[in-house]
Amino acid sequence: MGATAEDAAIRASARSSMKGRERANMAMFLGPAFLVVGFFFVVPVFVDIAISFTDLGRELRITEITTKNYERAFVSDRQLPAVIWRTLWYVGATLLIFNTTFGLLLALATTSISRTSGTFFRAVWLLPRMSPSVVYAILWVWSVHGGDTSLVNQVLMHLAGTEEPIDLRQTSPMWVIIFANGFIGASFAMIILTSAIRSIPGHLYHAARCDGAGSLARVWHITLPQLRWPLTYIFIWQTLSLLTSFEYILLITGGGPFRATTVYAIFIFQRAFGSSGQYAYGAALAFFLIVPGVILALLLWRISNMRRLLQRPRIEVQ
Amino acid sequence: MRTLLHSTAAAVLAFSASLPGISASAQDMIELTLWSRADPSGPLRPGNILKGAERLNAQLEKDGADYRVSITVLEQPDQGGYDGDAERLLRSYAIGEGPDIFHAAHEWICAFAEPGFLFDLTDFTNDHPEFFADIFPSLWASTECGGRRFAVPQDAEARMFFFNKNLMRQAGFSDEEIESLDERVLAGEVTLDDMSDIAQQVVEKTDAEYGILHRPSRGPDYLMIFNQYGSSFLDPETGKLLLEEDKLADAYGWFERNVENGVTPGNNTSLEWNYIRDQFYQDNNAAMWMYGVWDLGSSAFPRGVPSDQESFFEQFGWTAAPAPEKGGRPGSLTHPIVYGVGAGEHAETAATVVGYASDAELNTDHAVTTTHIGIKRAQLDDPRYAEAWTLALATELLEFTHYMPNHPDFGTLNAVIYEALQGVETGQLSAADAAVYVIEEAGARIPDSIVVN
Repeated sequence: MGATAEDAAIRASARSSMKGRERANMAMFLGPAFLVVGFFFVVPVFVDIAISFTDLGRELRITEITTKNYERAFVSDRQLPAVIWRTLWYVGATLLIFNTTFGLLLALATTSISRTSGTFFRAVWLLPRMSPSVVYAILWVWSVHGGDTSLVNQVLMHLAGTEEPIDLRQTSPMWVIIFANGFIGASFAMIILTSAIRSIPGHLYHAARCDGAGSLARVWHITLPQLRWPLTYIFIWQTLSLLTSFEYILLITGGGPFRATTVYAIFIFQRAFGSSGQYAYGAALAFFLIVPGVILALLLWRISNMRRLLQRPRIEVQ
Repeated sequence: MRTLLHSTAAAVLAFSASLPGISASAQDMIELTLWSRADPSGPLRPGNILKGAERLNAQLEKDGADYRVSITVLEQPDQGGYDGDAERLLRSYAIGEGPDIFHAAHEWICAFAEPGFLFDLTDFTNDHPEFFADIFPSLWASTECGGRRFAVPQDAEARMFFFNKNLMRQAGFSDEEIESLDERVLAGEVTLDDMSDIAQQVVEKTDAEYGILHRPSRGPDYLMIFNQYGSSFLDPETGKLLLEEDKLADAYGWFERNVENGVTPGNNTSLEWNYIRDQFYQDNNAAMWMYGVWDLGSSAFPRGVPSDQESFFEQFGWTAAPAPEKGGRPGSLTHPIVYGVGAGEHAETAATVVGYASDAELNTDHAVTTTHIGIKRAQLDDPRYAEAWTLALATELLEFTHYMPNHPDFGTLNAVIYEALQGVETGQLSAADAAVYVIEEAGARIPDSIVVN
């Protein structure tokens, strides 16, 4: 009796110490991540919302709590509708052309050639992502500026025989930033899809070959269906990432000429930190980016049934 | 202290103005900070403040005072011109990190004065005629906000159309037409469209690529054209910024026609400053360049443009901005740079340093080395000033000159005007749309500061 009680007490104490250890472990392993997320993702959202209801301007003084920033965004800021359309066009084009389609093509191409060549080409496509933003942007500026010394004009004038230099930042600024961002974005899909393609069991392909499937049929019927979830993940992630596209556009075109490449994130920057220093209005505009960002993420999560991807596997394969 | 400025300063030069034989540590040292832009067109703007502090310390020693002054220069590279400078300095003052002395474009002074960042110099300048009485009265207007003086003029200049006589000769203009161009402009016989026409003929008949080039960033010069088409930007009744749609559209129309006729390149606003200067001063590749007289000292002469009067005028000429209609009045724009003094504990000492720095001799050093116009009557008697032919001739344009309005939000309005100019030249806005854009954007950014007519 006494022993049983003692055992129970020992077990209870062991359980409680295990729970304590679990908590300590959790705090130790997840604590830093929670702190980072809290300080750099959650707190700024609340700071942004708080500032958006003030009149904080270039004098950094708050004299009133107001909703006028939101009224302005909805009523008097005539630029906003054009900026939103431009952003959708930019995000859509970059996403569809480069960040998914081209990334997929790169992954398919580099996995269908020899391993060494595949690794080499993937490394080449990773270069833009590995270069510092400013270096990458300057390379673009050198490539497309309107003088006859730019890379594009050297090629056109010396090899293609064009007489006058062209200035792509003036004539097709949106395509310049789509290409500049797309070259970086494509490598993201390339890496994820490469590993996804590698993880497709080889016997499926062997069986398909036995059944007489050609290479296109194998890609269409085996590879692509297996890539559905990675592609969905890439789609969600890159949409949100492109909505906040900022530094390359600022460095390559500055949002111009005029407003031709002023997408939403650049617009916020211009309004908040540009000539007028309207921080509170910038905060209100940024809030609009937070809300659709969260809604879009949840919506895509729901549509794509992402939860199934993250579920524990029902069987354990050893 | 001054961490914000320190963090971005390209170079921090410490200057201790102690005199030989006197130990600085024996007296109290008042440490002042001076913000300055690293700028080849005005190295003596900070340099004269240092000399001013030196002279003040000499006087303090003579008077047996128990303190001395030292100046720490916080020098930044050019980032966005005077507009960018002012915006950054405003942020520094807003967090209590503003310098004791700085130099700024005059139209920004009220943006500093309104929130109380500046020392009100009205009484100080009146109480110290030995420093300030000789300054041209017209220049003081550029330092005032609401009738109070918040800055001290540092220099002035004249903005004009430079033209390349060699290219005009090549295009078939006679020597008489070329040599009389400036006088015909001043007499109202040549209009803005006539100037564009001359530039167009140069582009069509010579190898030169460009007709009229203008600055590739926001700033004052293109505002001359708006002034000429009737926009003064200031409503005398309310003191607010005045926007008149038809007059704005007229001015944008001139720029629009220039691009359509191949006179101004559509990408003028994205060209590099030095590229433009090379095209005009060095490469004979542009007929005209709308800019200011100080550019000769800091950009033209170093590029090999002859610096003696006769040779210069053989190759180049300059004139005021013509009127839009025949018989109209030509115009020019002067854009004084001013010293502001922060409203800190040592404001009076800092103002005294500025007083010493505004000495006629020191200002003439700046004027003659950088082709800027001086601030005091006494400078006109200085033989060095009289010998600097660029200054004497540029001073003639002051007869027609305008100022930009001293309004806290004019800098913001000018940013909008420049954006619309870029919109027009890149073909994304018509002249009429640009006028509407300016009114709408100014209405969104500075709704309480504008009057629309």
